[in-house]
Amino acid sequence: MWRRSLSAGCRCFGFGSIGAKRRGQFHSLHTCSPPALPVGRITALQALEFWKKHFEESGVTEPDLSSHYIVAHSLGGKTIESLEQRKLTEFLSREKTEQIWKLCTKRLSRMPVQYVIQEWDFRDLTLTMRPPVFIPRPETEELVELVLTDLKNKPSSGDTVQTCLEVGCGSGAVSLSLLSSCPQLQVVALDRSQEAVELTKENASRLKLQDRIQIHHLDFMTEADEACSRCSPVSVLVSNPPYLFSDDVKTLEPEILRFEDPFALDGGSDGLTVIKQILTVAPKILSDRGGIYLEVDPRHPPLIQQWVEANVAELRYVETRPDINSRPRFCVLQKKQRELDVK
Amino acid sequence: MFCRRALVGFPNAKLFFCDRFKHRFLRSLKFPKHTIQFHNGCYTRTTRTLHTSAPLLGAKLLSVDELFARKSLQEHLKKIQSEYNQCLQAVNHGGAEEQCREEEMRTRRSKLSQMVPLIQNIMELDTKYKEMAENEALLKDPALKELAELEKEECLQHIQDLREKILDQLVPEEEADLSDLVLEVTAGVGGQEAMLFTAEVFDMYQGFAQHHGWTFEILENAPSEIGGLRHASVSISGSESYKRMKFEAGVHRVQRVPKTEKQGRMHTSTMTVAVLPQPTEISLTINPKDLKIETKRASGAGGQHVNTTDSAVRIVHLPTGVVAECQKERSQLKNKENAMKALRAKLYAIKLEEVTSKRYNQRKIQIGTRGRSEKIRTYNFTQDRITDHRIGMTVHDIKSFMIGQDLLEEMNSSLQEFSNQEALMEVLGENEREGL
Repeated sequence: MWRRSLSAGCRCFGFGSIGAKRRGQFHSLHTCSPPALPVGRITALQALEFWKKHFEESGVTEPDLSSHYIVAHSLGGKTIESLEQRKLTEFLSREKTEQIWKLCTKRLSRMPVQYVIQEWDFRDLTLTMRPPVFIPRPETEELVELVLTDLKNKPSSGDTVQTCLEVGCGSGAVSLSLLSSCPQLQVVALDRSQEAVELTKENASRLKLQDRIQIHHLDFMTEADEACSRCSPVSVLVSNPPYLFSDDVKTLEPEILRFEDPFALDGGSDGLTVIKQILTVAPKILSDRGGIYLEVDPRHPPLIQQWVEANVAELRYVETRPDINSRPRFCVLQKKQRELDVK
Repeated sequence: MFCRRALVGFPNAKLFFCDRFKHRFLRSLKFPKHTIQFHNGCYTRTTRTLHTSAPLLGAKLLSVDELFARKSLQEHLKKIQSEYNQCLQAVNHGGAEEQCREEEMRTRRSKLSQMVPLIQNIMELDTKYKEMAENEALLKDPALKELAELEKEECLQHIQDLREKILDQLVPEEEADLSDLVLEVTAGVGGQEAMLFTAEVFDMYQGFAQHHGWTFEILENAPSEIGGLRHASVSISGSESYKRMKFEAGVHRVQRVPKTEKQGRMHTSTMTVAVLPQPTEISLTINPKDLKIETKRASGAGGQHVNTTDSAVRIVHLPTGVVAECQKERSQLKNKENAMKALRAKLYAIKLEEVTSKRYNQRKIQIGTRGRSEKIRTYNFTQDRITDHRIGMTVHDIKSFMIGQDLLEEMNSSLQEFSNQEALMEVLGENEREGL
């Protein structure tokens, strides 16, 4: 079972005595009180050190970075290095100290840092983050790069307005990045989660891109026809669909299991359930020569290629592209040009 | 501009004068002047009222006239002219030759077109000399004397202008002078004090960049516990940024009583500045296959399987083993872009090194890795002076200097002029160092 955000009273898993280091070992569930606020005044650097040690001892992953980003955020910066030296070495107010303590305590429950500070960066944008809406991964930054490169190379562009459909927009990272880089683009974004739709709307407003994006609360698995009717032929279909194999979902770390929407992760026994649906419906939504860009599991590309060649005549498998770690990660397909009916 | 400084509010005064005109010229300047003797007592020069005391320049900076008086320069100009004529003849008569010489013709033609501006100036200069000579005759005629005097003055002005232009054109252009740069500062000997000084120098360059309207983007910085800087790297871009900043590379030394010193003793600490030109796409192309990019998400399946805030990127250029990394941003893509920028700068520096190491062999002002460990400047706070050891120049008022505006600008310009002169001397084939 996954849970939404936890309140300040933390539930610490595997939390032994202060000196012991336990990582990923689950003992009986017991509530523990979060570390008490310091008696005297402390500096930001001291708070950093304290929480780094505490995270380490509590088995929280990336203890150094966690305290780094939380403390920096509390002081109004994205990173510690971006802050003035003065701010780091002067004493914190009681209020500030309480804020840092409150946020770090949330992290103790293995809440991802992005949810703790309620924001994160994606390419050039800073987006609001909120559980259980899926947190964008670094690989997806490259998915956007792929789409942008192709959009720029399209000979038809120039003055014509292009439309893009995103299936499963989550926080809006992909759609909003595309809009922000392409003034000519319009986007239709869908998500089955009401929270995701709300969050995407919020981010679109914050970034003043709301005029070029339409966001619909639709489940592409069950309401595909409705989805088709909402968008006239699009030239690009992009998606980072749930692609994990159901078996793998059980082995995910607490940050994901306890806080992120499982519907954004679980792609069925072979991880291809949503992907296949997207590819089946795509020919109805795409204009001729329209492109499909998918982020997938590294095991998927050859399976997808085979399946498309056997099942979706209107699509042509163009290529597989690797991510920054050289894993096959992105599938690019295209709707074939319709042949004129001579008879 | 050779021997000409573009300082704010400074009229077109020259650094050098023919003795005959010195008196007249000094009278025409409106601000108070005082002249200073140089170590070799060769010539005098006016100073500006911007500073309380005049800077001293130990190195010998030759005047335009002195340079034109040199036989090597005259011979060089003649050589250029004959080269041009030969080239011109070859191009004009080569039309009838076979097709396979087309490539050669193309090179000849482009070389010709590059030489044209210089040749034009040389020819114009010759014309002006002739005019001067003709004018001399008219000076004897009492009726035309005044007119002739005016003509003479105008002529001399033209001659001076042309000479400066020619000298400018003779100094070889550096490919890197057009690029942007990556600046790296690192604390050296002296512990916390060295790190504090590094932070101050860093601020000075930030001011300098602002003064010139350059962008100043911090790529990486590692502060110390008490407000100092262990090391930092910055991407600076703007007009002539590398051309100016290249003279800042080397070891800077500070002499003062540190803030951390309890017994009031004076300490000497150091910091190092490295300047790496940023190549354009054309000047340096990297094959993506030569790169190994490392991130923390390298193991396992990545993607939706993992959530991490570790977006550090490390790039290794396999053929050379050069490494660049960045973890400053929260976005992995941005870190990758920054790391690539830093990598390109490093690779370019290596490439340039091969080209320039021979050229800079004999020079006093060393650019590149040769200059990296040279003590170029001392900042003595107790005596309130800054001395650049390469040209023996001393200025006062450290506080103003460290703001990174006029005083640093002046020192930088002097270095530029001296470097131009060294380059020119090499071109003229005079490799021995003249005086000090």
